[in-house]
Amino acid sequence: MNRHTDTEVGTETTQVQRMLPAIVLQLMNYVLILLLALAIGALIIASSGKDPLTAYAALFHGAFGSRMAVANTLDRSTVMILAGLAAVFAFSTSVRNLGIEGQLYAGAFVAAWVGFGIQALPAPLHIALAFVLSAVAGAAWSLVPILLRTRWGVDEIVPSLMFNYIAIHFTAYLVAFPFKSDTTILPGTDPINATAKLPRLMRGSPLNVGFALALVLVFVVYWFLFRTKQGYELRMVGMNPRFAAYAGLPVKRSALMGMLLSGAMAGIGGASLILGFFGRFITQFSQGYGWDGIVISLLAKNNPIAVIPAALFYAGLANGSLEMQSATQVPITLVSTIKGVIMFLVTAQFFLRYLSKRYPQWA
Amino acid sequence: MGIADSLSRLINVALFASSLRMTTPVLYATLGGIFSAEAGVLNVGLEGLMIVGAFFAIVGSVTFGSAWAGLLVAVLACVILSFLFAAVHLEWGADEMIVGLALNVLGYGLTTYLLLVMFNVAGYYSSDTIVGFELIRIPLVHDLPLVGEILSGQFALVYLAFLSVAVTYFFLYRTPWGFWLRSVGESPEAAEAVGINLRLMKYTGVLVGGAFCGAGGAFLSLAHLNLFSEGMTAGRGFLALAAVNFGERKPLKCMVAALIFGFTDALAIRLQRFGLPSQVVLMLPYIATVVILTLSAIQGIAAQRARLAAKG
Repeated sequence: MNRHTDTEVGTETTQVQRMLPAIVLQLMNYVLILLLALAIGALIIASSGKDPLTAYAALFHGAFGSRMAVANTLDRSTVMILAGLAAVFAFSTSVRNLGIEGQLYAGAFVAAWVGFGIQALPAPLHIALAFVLSAVAGAAWSLVPILLRTRWGVDEIVPSLMFNYIAIHFTAYLVAFPFKSDTTILPGTDPINATAKLPRLMRGSPLNVGFALALVLVFVVYWFLFRTKQGYELRMVGMNPRFAAYAGLPVKRSALMGMLLSGAMAGIGGASLILGFFGRFITQFSQGYGWDGIVISLLAKNNPIAVIPAALFYAGLANGSLEMQSATQVPITLVSTIKGVIMFLVTAQFFLRYLSKRYPQWA
Repeated sequence: MGIADSLSRLINVALFASSLRMTTPVLYATLGGIFSAEAGVLNVGLEGLMIVGAFFAIVGSVTFGSAWAGLLVAVLACVILSFLFAAVHLEWGADEMIVGLALNVLGYGLTTYLLLVMFNVAGYYSSDTIVGFELIRIPLVHDLPLVGEILSGQFALVYLAFLSVAVTYFFLYRTPWGFWLRSVGESPEAAEAVGINLRLMKYTGVLVGGAFCGAGGAFLSLAHLNLFSEGMTAGRGFLALAAVNFGERKPLKCMVAALIFGFTDALAIRLQRFGLPSQVVLMLPYIATVVILTLSAIQGIAAQRARLAAKG
């Protein structure tokens, strides 16, 4: 009995010992990728005759330089965390859901619709209803691409991409005609009722309860994927579909579930922006958050907890770029280029190969 | 009378002429997608390559005062970007789908940034200094009834696109290089076993693919409008991806898919004059793609079942 416990403890320590260097190596890899991306950005800034260091200082200051900046960055990270979780669900079940952006739109529109369409519901209920229905909408928007795969063997990449454009144009149609509102010059819906608005957490900042909800969901998703039998099945199928099929796991059902949960997360993400920030649905409201979500899950290696720092980093880039533009006239679109470079390198073994050679004892 | 009149205003010679024009950029990107896919590399970055092509076509045209120079610069820019794509994927094992998406993010970001820095404008750039392509009258064909109106009086790049389909077909199915390229996509192990240089073939496929995307982008900015606007590719690269998918990488079948998109586009623009909302118009090609993919998948499965049943 005693010996038995010893061996268990023993294996655990070796496991930690084995895991830790890999994590350190991965972190070093990311730091190098990030530095390279920033260096390329710096070259671009310098080539337009501006000083990269002042630009980056302004970027950092805008992102994390004050209490208000931090609050705003936390707020911006909300939708990114949720989009990241959406991608985590998809990728850990090896579903290539490239339709997260469209699913955000579906969820956002439904959240707005519930928000302005339903009167006289107590606030918590109204908000809960809006979130639940937006999750359903996001999942529904992902249904056709995944059914195409599970029923007819069509690769989900193209259909899920197509549904992004369908969502963007369809919601644009909705606000131009059936839901046209006279209360806004932007193409958008009527404003949501006060009962559907997410309570703010800090005076003067848009930071709201949505952020707390995103954090809770991170832990729920972590628990589900890593602590339940269902989640374990999903991950097994994702890691090796052939083996999973051989082992008698329901491969198709797992893919379906992974996609629907992914869509639901995206839908909630869209809703968080509408209920917490915009207060109504507006066309083109998402600045590619769905794509950010994909990179965030990659940076996080599909670990829900690691989604938080990755999303904070991306949110910092987005918010900091505003101050960078106003202080140094370096356009915010520079950040898209930096993001593109990061995405270019995130799955590359570029530095990782070098690092594992340099530190073989860690690899 | 009313219906016949409307129909003849809707479906006429000009519709087919504009279909060819709308098909062209998608067709170029489709050819790009074919080359890449045949070499076994899925390139979801066609959209990003196209927008880079559209931008650098303007740069080349303004700098050298010629539309053809614009085309060349566009192709060059896309080849360089494709080289980076191929290098991180082939040398450092980066995931092709993610790097493809990165091309889209990078392409959009870089062009909007450069638009501000180089031309000092946001949103779009148009100027008299941009030299666009000229329409070409084909001497004898031009005088033919109906056919003349459709085929003659198009941009050179339109003819080149369809010519490229023939060339691509010839290259892929009638030359050893084409055979090697296809074998790499079909069965990399077998190709390697018979001594084909996998890496070289993959680079070739991706780079040639990039060149075609550059041409497609150049067509967007230098034919018809002579301007660059942010995100002007408007998903055409993704439609091209769908066309490659639907056409199973076969040049002629893919061309048919591209033609369907071009026709839908042209028809939809006309339907707008009949009161169809533009948002619905913009949506149609994407819905068409999903429907086509679904139908071809169902048909494929039915055919497979029939084969199995025949075997007993």
